[in-house]
Amino acid sequence: MTVLCCLLTFTAYPGGFQINEHSARAMAMGGTFTAIANDASAIYFNAAGLTQLKGFHLLTGTTMLVPSFSFKGVAPEVKKYEGKTQYFFPVHFYASYAVNDDLSFGLGFTSPFGLGTKWDENWVGKYMAVETLVEVFTVTPVAAYKVLNNLSVSAGLVYSFADVTMTRKVPEGTFAGDAFIKLKGNDKSAFGYTFGVMYKPLDYLTLGASFHSQIKYNFKGTAESNGAKQLASNLPHGNIQANITTPMFLNIGAALKVNNNLTISTEFQFVGWSSYDTLQVNFEDGTKSANPRLYKDSYIIRLGGEYVFENGISILAGIYYDKLPVESKMMNPTLPEANRIGSSFGLGYKINDNFTINASYLYLYSKSITVNNSEETYTSGNAPFNGIFKAGANIAALSLSYNF
Amino acid sequence: MNKLILVFALISLLLINACSDENNLIAPVKNPVQGNVNLTRLVTIGNSITSGYQSGSLFQSAQNYSFGNLIAMQVGASYQQPLVADPGTKGRMEIISLSPLVIKYNTNSGSPVNTNYSLPYNNLGIPGAVVYDILNATNSNTCASGKAGVPNPMFDLVLRGAGTQFQQAKALNPTYITLWIGNNDVLGYATSGGVSPSAPTPSAVFAALYSQLADSIASLGVKVAVANIPEVTAIPFFNTVGPQLAVSFPWTAKNVHNVYYQKHGESVGTGTADSLSLLKGTVLLTLKAASYTSDFGLPSGRFYRENNYPAIPSGVDTTKPFGLHPQNPIPDALILDENEMITAKNSTRDFNSAISQIALAKQFILVDMNTEFNKLRANDFTGGTLIDGIKFKTSFITGGLFSLDGVHPTNQGQGFIANLFIKAINSAYNATIPVINLSTLPGSIILAKKMNKYGLPEFSPGTFDNIKY
Repeated sequence: MTVLCCLLTFTAYPGGFQINEHSARAMAMGGTFTAIANDASAIYFNAAGLTQLKGFHLLTGTTMLVPSFSFKGVAPEVKKYEGKTQYFFPVHFYASYAVNDDLSFGLGFTSPFGLGTKWDENWVGKYMAVETLVEVFTVTPVAAYKVLNNLSVSAGLVYSFADVTMTRKVPEGTFAGDAFIKLKGNDKSAFGYTFGVMYKPLDYLTLGASFHSQIKYNFKGTAESNGAKQLASNLPHGNIQANITTPMFLNIGAALKVNNNLTISTEFQFVGWSSYDTLQVNFEDGTKSANPRLYKDSYIIRLGGEYVFENGISILAGIYYDKLPVESKMMNPTLPEANRIGSSFGLGYKINDNFTINASYLYLYSKSITVNNSEETYTSGNAPFNGIFKAGANIAALSLSYNF
Repeated sequence: MNKLILVFALISLLLINACSDENNLIAPVKNPVQGNVNLTRLVTIGNSITSGYQSGSLFQSAQNYSFGNLIAMQVGASYQQPLVADPGTKGRMEIISLSPLVIKYNTNSGSPVNTNYSLPYNNLGIPGAVVYDILNATNSNTCASGKAGVPNPMFDLVLRGAGTQFQQAKALNPTYITLWIGNNDVLGYATSGGVSPSAPTPSAVFAALYSQLADSIASLGVKVAVANIPEVTAIPFFNTVGPQLAVSFPWTAKNVHNVYYQKHGESVGTGTADSLSLLKGTVLLTLKAASYTSDFGLPSGRFYRENNYPAIPSGVDTTKPFGLHPQNPIPDALILDENEMITAKNSTRDFNSAISQIALAKQFILVDMNTEFNKLRANDFTGGTLIDGIKFKTSFITGGLFSLDGVHPTNQGQGFIANLFIKAINSAYNATIPVINLSTLPGSIILAKKMNKYGLPEFSPGTFDNIKY
């Protein structure tokens, strides 16, 4: 057991697993919604914005994420390996109700983290990652209160549940073939909180800030191994446990109403990835497998705009830059990271006084990263996983909102 | 508004261009011509080690990691081998269970893959070959062992009736030759406990044969690397059973202080070894002995029965406790006693001295396997040798370097050997062939937590019968 577990290190939750796209309209504007927050998706982006809404609002939709990722190497070889194309459909749902002019309540459901990667089971990095799937769901009840005419605040509780599955291979010494290792775990209840504030110093200027706390997950699950029967007792099996903390993030934004039709918004998002420094998996026999990740705090800079025509049609566009949270020497194919630039556009249509529909598209460009000082190994020894990582995504979203 | 859309469109366009720059790594140019050496047609001449033989069999998935093929892959040279589909030639040793450790041989065999290859194979390593064979043996019957009445079909597999190893090497018009031969001229004597053959090739005969062989190879006018012979006692075949028995046998409970063994050519049961001499290896028990340690202290004649002895040797009484009574000693064939060890040591020393003198005279480069394997062995006592993040030892199974027969290298062991050749070639000819990262080769054997009664492996009868060294 001990021997093989030393070969096992696990990686989960790289920055690329974070999903910031929780409404088609916000996504179309490059995610610059903290200082706008004037529909029910404010529950996620900045619940303080709910005080701008009257009555009852519903907003629901889904995002289709199609990540693409590749690895070229291992240096000096230049063979290119592509991850298998997968489609992810995180759902968002929000409901809000304004009790009066000053007080609103809301309830949101989102998947703030949740993606996966799948490589060919015989690819060069098979001992690092074959298939990884992370799904995090949150249910967020919030309350927003208008403190002053131009100042609102909000607070929310985040209830979360999550599933993680990781599969990879381990070498079996002189035995032909490898063992397949599958780790599955879930946490049915983890908690966090959110705060928001929105301030209108001038008629045409809105400032907003929102904070999402860390969430500490205590995953419990099982390890299954599929290898040579002689090794059954030596391969990881039984119950496992792992603590993972998803990072806090803070968004600060400003929205400028240029005229009755045009709004421009910009935003800075700070992501506290440094909370994720080591992933340790504890096996029931006392074996531990720790994998230092040494993530660093990261940020995203966003810019977006919305132009609303008189006939109810709106055009939206945005752009953002997402900084790589991990040093290139720690790059791992569980989910290849990259410095990414997102470029988005979208359309909105107010069908009538009650219904609005929004559709948007976001393309994530990534500059490839060449790693030549890798500290990650793709063997049971210390062969460095040097090569070129590239990761991008096509993302489309559709949301429908209804108010009465 | 239109301007705004335009701006976004322009930015997007710029980004697409800026980011589609997947900067390319430059693929290494594999060139068999390196410095002042040309490996385009590499020919490796030798015995089982050169052939890529592992765990008592010649099988494709191991042959792929023969040191010759590994070197050829590092420089991108074509290198053909007499591949045998898995499970290979009959008798591949396989672990049935790890706890207890039970090793059995595979009674199935695979078919040769490329017997119709029109040229001689680049890999002319033949399991069982001795120095005499390279210039003289053309088939299973004309090899040294065939002439002694034990035909070796490996010669037919590799040579295919097209001449000797040397003739075929010559026919390939090689650009580079490696020669590693002579191990079996002492090893066969040692692995049979000094019984069959009853003496190593005499040193003077070895030197004469090797000199003749070197003359022939030198006449081809190509660059040559020769390897010398590692100390036979440095392999797990000899170093597993004795030391393990010394620490795990219940000496006190059985109220005994030593085991009795049959000394070569002496009367029954004159040899004795206590736990200290077993531990220090003043007497060596071969790996074959592992299967019979469970009979220690019991009246047993199993060894003679299983090995088809026509009769119990005279003076032996199998009703006496096996191994613990002078009248039922550990048989000669399972023991390398002090005198036999000296014989083997002296032969190795003489052979190596002949090899290095002849190599010097012929301007062949010498790969000093003996020194390198002695270093590995010495490092065992300080925790092993760390290479590419893996700790290697010369110990059986757990060491990662030796396959289940306790004699032949694993894939990673072959990689270690390939790197010794590569380093010697690089330094002799100003070449820059990259060494192999041993951790990228599928290899080391899983550690077993428990073995049999005394922590020793159990080999099913016949396990060692098919092995060609």
